[in-house]
Amino acid sequence: MIWLALTLMAPFGAGIAILALRRQPAALALAGSALGLAGALGLFAATARGDRIAAALPFLPGFPARLEASPLTATFALMVATVAVAVLIHAAGYMARDPGRVRFFGIMTLFVTAMELLVLSGDWITLLGAWEMIGFASWLLIGFWHHRPAVPEAALRAFLYTRSADLGLYLAVFLLIGATGSPEIAAASALTGPPALIAGLLLLLAAAGKSAQPPFQEWLMRAMASPTPVSALLHSATLVAAGAILLIRAAPMLPDAVLVAVGIVGGFGAVITGLMALAERDLKRLLAASTASQHGFMLITIAAGAPVAAVLHLVAHAAIKSALFLGAGIFQHDRNATTLDALAGAGRARPGVFAGFALAALALAGLPPMAAWFSKEAILAATWNSPLAPWLVPLALAGALLSGAYMGRALRVLWSGPAERAQTPVPFMAVGLWGLVILAVTLGPAFGPLEAMLGATIEDIPPFLPVLGLAVAAGGAALGWLLPPRRLLGPFLGPAERGFGIASALETLSARSALTLAGAVARLETEILAATLAAGRTGTRVAAATCRIDRDRIDGAIFALTRGLRASGQGLRRLQSGLIHRELALSMIGILLLIGVLLIAPLSF
Amino acid sequence: MPLLSIATLLPLLAGLALMLLPVRPARIVHGVSIAATGATLLLTLAIRDRGIAPEGFAQLEEAAWIPVIGAAWRLGVDGLSLPLVLLTGLLFFLSAIYSARIGDRPATYVVLMLMLESASLGTFMALDGLLFYVFFEVSLVGMYFMIAGWGHEDRQRAALMFFLYTLLGSLPLLLAIIGLHLASGTFDMRAWIGTPPLGGTAAMLALVAMLFTFAVKTPVFPFHTWLPAAHVQAPTAGSVILAGVMLKFGTYGLVRLPFQMLPDAFAAAAPVVLAFGAFSALYGAFAALAQSDLKKMIAYTSVNHMGYVVIGVAVAALAAEPRIRTIALDGATLQMVSHGLVTGALFFLVGMLQDRAHSRAMGDFGGLLGRVPWLGWAFILSAFASLGLPGLAHFPAEFQIFLATFNARPWGAVALLGIVVTAALYLRAIAIVFLGPERGRGRGMPDLDRRERLVIGVLLVLIVLVGVMPGIVLDVIHRTMSGLAG
Repeated sequence: MIWLALTLMAPFGAGIAILALRRQPAALALAGSALGLAGALGLFAATARGDRIAAALPFLPGFPARLEASPLTATFALMVATVAVAVLIHAAGYMARDPGRVRFFGIMTLFVTAMELLVLSGDWITLLGAWEMIGFASWLLIGFWHHRPAVPEAALRAFLYTRSADLGLYLAVFLLIGATGSPEIAAASALTGPPALIAGLLLLLAAAGKSAQPPFQEWLMRAMASPTPVSALLHSATLVAAGAILLIRAAPMLPDAVLVAVGIVGGFGAVITGLMALAERDLKRLLAASTASQHGFMLITIAAGAPVAAVLHLVAHAAIKSALFLGAGIFQHDRNATTLDALAGAGRARPGVFAGFALAALALAGLPPMAAWFSKEAILAATWNSPLAPWLVPLALAGALLSGAYMGRALRVLWSGPAERAQTPVPFMAVGLWGLVILAVTLGPAFGPLEAMLGATIEDIPPFLPVLGLAVAAGGAALGWLLPPRRLLGPFLGPAERGFGIASALETLSARSALTLAGAVARLETEILAATLAAGRTGTRVAAATCRIDRDRIDGAIFALTRGLRASGQGLRRLQSGLIHRELALSMIGILLLIGVLLIAPLSF
Repeated sequence: MPLLSIATLLPLLAGLALMLLPVRPARIVHGVSIAATGATLLLTLAIRDRGIAPEGFAQLEEAAWIPVIGAAWRLGVDGLSLPLVLLTGLLFFLSAIYSARIGDRPATYVVLMLMLESASLGTFMALDGLLFYVFFEVSLVGMYFMIAGWGHEDRQRAALMFFLYTLLGSLPLLLAIIGLHLASGTFDMRAWIGTPPLGGTAAMLALVAMLFTFAVKTPVFPFHTWLPAAHVQAPTAGSVILAGVMLKFGTYGLVRLPFQMLPDAFAAAAPVVLAFGAFSALYGAFAALAQSDLKKMIAYTSVNHMGYVVIGVAVAALAAEPRIRTIALDGATLQMVSHGLVTGALFFLVGMLQDRAHSRAMGDFGGLLGRVPWLGWAFILSAFASLGLPGLAHFPAEFQIFLATFNARPWGAVALLGIVVTAALYLRAIAIVFLGPERGRGRGMPDLDRRERLVIGVLLVLIVLVGVMPGIVLDVIHRTMSGLAG
């Protein structure tokens, strides 16, 4: 319990303290994330001993928020905490002079909290909540330099892309809770039949959105407008990783048909975004495309039925990719730009940083003895033994070849330009970078025990497979170093540079149609309003007509009547002259008339 | 002590006392207003403290009124009305604080506000059909004069439209109430709930009449056109009260009258209600997306959010399992509270922006976040609450509504698309008004002063609290709703 609380509350407390006190943000953030790391280590050690740590907090009636540390979730928590510490050390240098650093460190630590909540969640509602919160935090972080042009748009795109895909998660969660009667993630593994199929596909949609698989990769490419430490965190252990984490946790319930779909998305995603990375002209965007490509690998592995191998690659990638971004951040700091043209030679000017960057790059390419070599070997083994091997293995190999090629190209560019003036030392940034590089290089041998702890069996593979994998990785790196992308990609270069038109097609389809619909609704709205007003006007017109009729006809008639009565009154008045003899005469006439009537009346009956 | 009656009448009496004063300087008037609404808020908190009954109504207060026809002063609360009573107390208090700067005929303004508060509290607490109707109608008068007297450019027309529309809209309700009375010989709503007096065609006719009235009030497409017109023209506090409190008359009435008093007819018509709710939610979202006037945009998102409430109530009548029905009712009721808090905050913020720049058009602003960080961050937080971010007030409500909907009638979950559209429209508005390089009317704009921060701060704290610990509201709601869902 104490470890669970420490993992979550230390970064949370630091974030709140930073935003409330508004001073010493870097120190507070480092302290909070270091305590969080201690908590995650405690969790990892406890679960490795076989303990299961769980907690339930009140949330909705019947649906408490559950937290759960199993070997799997504790591994994720440790990964997140480790990368967070390294990135925050780097950021202490990178953001040292930024006027918004209070906000930066505050949001970063809260973001880490939300991510820890996501990986440790034990029920779907907590997971969904954390899932959306990291979306919000990433909107804040991508939009950090909000006064710059194009930044608000990038943040908006990131949130909208992922939220659209999140509809899949919402629906899947509704379905899973309804079908199993329980909100717990563990309960979902019992699900079979059509509900499992539908829920699995919906989860895949959500995961593809967060993990930036085609057609959703564009938001990640644009998210490069953020400060580089943000990219380092988003791309490695957090935001993008959430998609893979979701599928890894859901893996026990995914039926075969969904696995095929996961394989298709991941396989083609790895290749398509790999091609885009190779064609890219901006270092950060190259790394972004490579993130999507590496997550494609993880999806391939899940499709092959080996989620534990996907965990290994996720962990390896987290260390490697954050190291690469931190290196890129230092180069960006030097040259104040991220395009490959501007960065040419930036590595030669800073050999120490370049060495770290190069080690991480080669690790990503999959060269031994570094981390991704072990995980890629596990991936190849898993795909080889899977029923989907005939098409998964070629896709995985193609992805691996591309990984080598784009990293080789990036190294070549960084090394082979003019290396101008000596640089100022960057102690914080270098410490953050090298901490991660050391992990990226040395993590590999730990993967065996980790695999055992996560309960996976080591599979037998034909001996030529590792050799083939090595040949592909080394060959790719060599090709990338030696040949320019123009030669490597040939006719694919243009489409790859434009992202194969996927993003623009998607945006045209969704955004344009939403805006068209909104416009139509707005027009309908004015018409309904006009109709309402017309009805109102008809009312007033009827009223006016009534008024006229009142005045001209009814009143007229009444007035005419009174006029007539008056006139006859005037006439009658003349009879009333007041002269006694005339009155008497009139009386006599009246009496005679009455007598006449009385005499005649009986005769008529 | 009859707290309910005191809370209902206190604002009205304070207003009357104000009218008797020979001179009415603005300071005194606003002081009385804040004191009266503050005292009423404390009274509502005391009512909350006394709690509700496990079944039926609690804290009943009765007095003779028109014994011949069986109408009486009957007040009481349950888990449906109590949260709305608290919301009413809070929003009127905050509106009184916010309005303390109004110097144009302050006495009349304050008297109207106090009268509105009495009418609103009475509407939620009345347990007598006739009394309910009277309070329901009196609120219209107050709001009419509020818009017509203190509104913006085109206020006369908007006020008249609001008044006629909602007045005509509520006449069928009177017929339905008379129908219930004729069939039962009393106006006691508890009797109507206990043994629904109408059945068959009569029930269906009464249902149609009620649905029409509440569809106008909520509002539901196509009877919503008065809402954007009224909101855009209303003064800020008027918009807050209109959206935060008075729209709830519609959905509160929907649960209290058709759902509870005409259960069979309502269950039969529920698919239609669900369809209207879902369409209305989507329609409101898309209409909001097309707006360039901030206030109008927020007004249309009310159509969207209130549509979710209608969906929840319909699903509660449709679902077979009591568990799903409870979830739907819990969500629908919580959504009313969340909407009051969040939309209240948003209207306050737009009002504060308009006070400063005399414009509501998004295009007139840019990059305000650097200039007025308090206003900017408060708007961002409220906007994300409105688009349903977890950890903020709307998420627990909407999650429950959609969870129940998807498991009762999966097609109803099509309204879930609304959460993407609202995300798009709020992010777009934030990007235009608050992000990017500074431009437009933002120059020299002062940030929120202490009083404004207080008003907004209270709402934001509650938005976060309800989002993180929905139990503080849901516990009361859930107790009543699990009884209602049977």
